[in-house]
Amino acid sequence: MKTEADYYALFEAYRAGKLAEAERSALEHRLAADPELARRLREFEDLTGTLTAYGRRLALRRRLQAIHADMEANVPLEAPAAGPAPRLPLAKVAEEDERREQFAAGRAPRPMLRISRTEEKLRAFWQSHRATMMVAAAVAVLAVFATLLGLEMYRTAQKPSLYGYTVLRREVERIKRDQRSMNRTLTQIDATQPGERNNPGKFSGTGFALTADGYLVTSYHVIQGADSLLIENRARQRFRAEPVFTDVAHDLAILQIKDKDFSGFGRLPYAFKRGESDLGEKVYTLGYPREDLVFNDGSLSARSGFEGDTGFYQVSIPVNPGNSGGPLLDDRGNLIGVVSGRQVDVQSAAFATKSSYLMRLVDSLSAAGAGQPYNLPRGNQLSGTSRPQQIRKLQDYVFVVKVYE
Amino acid sequence: MGKGIPSYTDEEFVAAIRRDDDRALAQLYRLHFPMISHYVLQNSGTEDEAKDVYQEGVMVFYEKVRDGSLELSCQIKTYLYAVCRRLWLKRLTEKTRFDGRLDDHEPFLETGAEADLELAEERDRQLGTMAQALDLIGEPCRSLLEGFYLLDKSMQQLTAEFGYTNADNAKNQKYKCLVRLKKLFFTQYQELT
Repeated sequence: MKTEADYYALFEAYRAGKLAEAERSALEHRLAADPELARRLREFEDLTGTLTAYGRRLALRRRLQAIHADMEANVPLEAPAAGPAPRLPLAKVAEEDERREQFAAGRAPRPMLRISRTEEKLRAFWQSHRATMMVAAAVAVLAVFATLLGLEMYRTAQKPSLYGYTVLRREVERIKRDQRSMNRTLTQIDATQPGERNNPGKFSGTGFALTADGYLVTSYHVIQGADSLLIENRARQRFRAEPVFTDVAHDLAILQIKDKDFSGFGRLPYAFKRGESDLGEKVYTLGYPREDLVFNDGSLSARSGFEGDTGFYQVSIPVNPGNSGGPLLDDRGNLIGVVSGRQVDVQSAAFATKSSYLMRLVDSLSAAGAGQPYNLPRGNQLSGTSRPQQIRKLQDYVFVVKVYE
Repeated sequence: MGKGIPSYTDEEFVAAIRRDDDRALAQLYRLHFPMISHYVLQNSGTEDEAKDVYQEGVMVFYEKVRDGSLELSCQIKTYLYAVCRRLWLKRLTEKTRFDGRLDDHEPFLETGAEADLELAEERDRQLGTMAQALDLIGEPCRSLLEGFYLLDKSMQQLTAEFGYTNADNAKNQKYKCLVRLKKLFFTQYQELT
C-alpha cells in the first residue's frame, strides 16, 4: 500500500518526465480508471503550482522594490547592451506620442521630485490633515472678523451720540504755542507769574455764571476726567472750582468756586429762560475757542439736537473747540442754552442743551437742599439794549474753564 | 523621462517582459510611476501608498504578460492607470477615515482591467492562504519547501544544508511536508471560500 507521500514522489517524477515509458503508461491508465487518483494529481499540481507562483510573486516583489529604490536613488538605467539602430527613431516617435497624449489629457509630465525626509513627513501630514486645517483656518478668520466687528459694535454702543458728533472742548496742548508766547510778550502783567503760565492745562472750555455767589455752568464733557479745574476770567484772574453736579445725558455740569478770596460775581445781567425758544430766533454765544473772548451768532434752526435728541437745540452758529459750555442767548438777552457740540458732516450745525433742562436740574438740586442755596438771577438787564452793549455787560460773566488731568 | 535611453513601444515592452527582460521591466516601471503617484497624491494618498498601489498594478500586468493571457485592447499606460485606479479606490474605501474626495470624472474605459483584477484578487487570496499555510507548517518543513519551491535550490543543496544522510531521505521528507501542506492549504482555502 502506497502512502500519499509515495504518490507525490510518483507524481513529481511523472511531471518532470523522469518515469520510464512503461511506468508512465501504467500510471496514465490508472489515472483514467481511478478518479480518486486523478483528484490527487490535481491537488498535487495545484499545490506545487501555487507554491511556485508564490515564490515568483515574492521574487517579483523584491525586483520591483529594487527598481523603485534605484529610481528613488536616481540610478540611471544601463543602456541596452546592443541597441539595434532603428530603435532610436522609434523611441523618439514613442516619446512624442507620449507627450501628445499628456497634452490631450491635460496632464503635464510630472518630473520625479527628490524630497527630503522631513518634507516627506510634512507632506504626509498635510495630506492627512488638510481638511482639518482648512476648517481651523476658516474658524480663525471668522473669529478675527467677529472680534473686530464686536469691538466696533461695543465702541459705538459705548458712545452712541458721538458718532459724527464732535464735542467742542479744546485740546490746549495742540493750540499753537506761539500765540501764547505772543500774548506773553504783549501783556507785560504776566511777567511776574511766569510759573503759572507754563501750565496751561490739558483741555479748556467755556463756562458762565449761574448765580452771583459762585455757581457756574459748563458742559459735562469739558470737565470729564478732570483732576482739578481752574476758572479764568477776562482779566486773567483765576479761581479754583469743583464740580457740584453733573448730568451726562444732557451734557451739563455745575461747578462751584471754592477759592477763599472769591467775593462773588456781582449781579448777573441775564435771566434764564424756563420755556422753549422758537425756531428762527436770533441767537449768539460768547466763548473761548482761543485765548480771547469770541462772539458768534446765528439762528435757532431746530428744536431737537443730534439724532432727534429733544434735550438740545440745533443752532446755526459756527462754533469751534473751546466753545463748549458757553452761554447761548437770544436777542433779548435771555439765556436759552449751553453750547455742547456740533455735527461733523453737516454745515454749521451746532447743538446746545436747552436751558429748560438746566432749570429743572437747578430746581431739583435746590429741592434736595444740599450745599449753598441757588439764587438764580431774577431780572434781565439786557433786553432792549443793542448787542455790543449786551456783550459789554456779559463778558465779565463768561469764563475759561481749564481742565487738568 | 530617461533622455538618451531608447524607449520601447508597447509591443516591444510586452515582448521584452515575456522574455523576462529585467531592463524593460525597470524602464516600464519608471515610465509610468509619475502618473500613478500623481493620481494617488491628488486623491489624498501618500508617496508610500502610491508606491504600493503601483507595484500591485505592475504585478498584475507582469503576471498577465508572463502567463500569456494578456489581451491589451488599449495602451499599457491606460491599462496600468485603470488597474491602479481601481486598486486605489478599493483602498480608500477600506480606510476607516475616508474623507478624501475623488476627482473621478474620467469616463469609464473598457480596458479589461476590471476582469483582470478580479482574477488577480482570487490569485491573491490563494497566495495569501499559501503564505499562511507555510507559516503554520513549522520547521523544518517550511525551510525545506521554501528552499525547493521558492528559492529554486536543488535537492543536493538542501540535503547538505539540512544534514540529511542522502538525497532520498531529503526527498521523502519533502513529500511528507507536501502532504501536510496540502491539508493545511486546502482546509484553509475552503474556509475562505
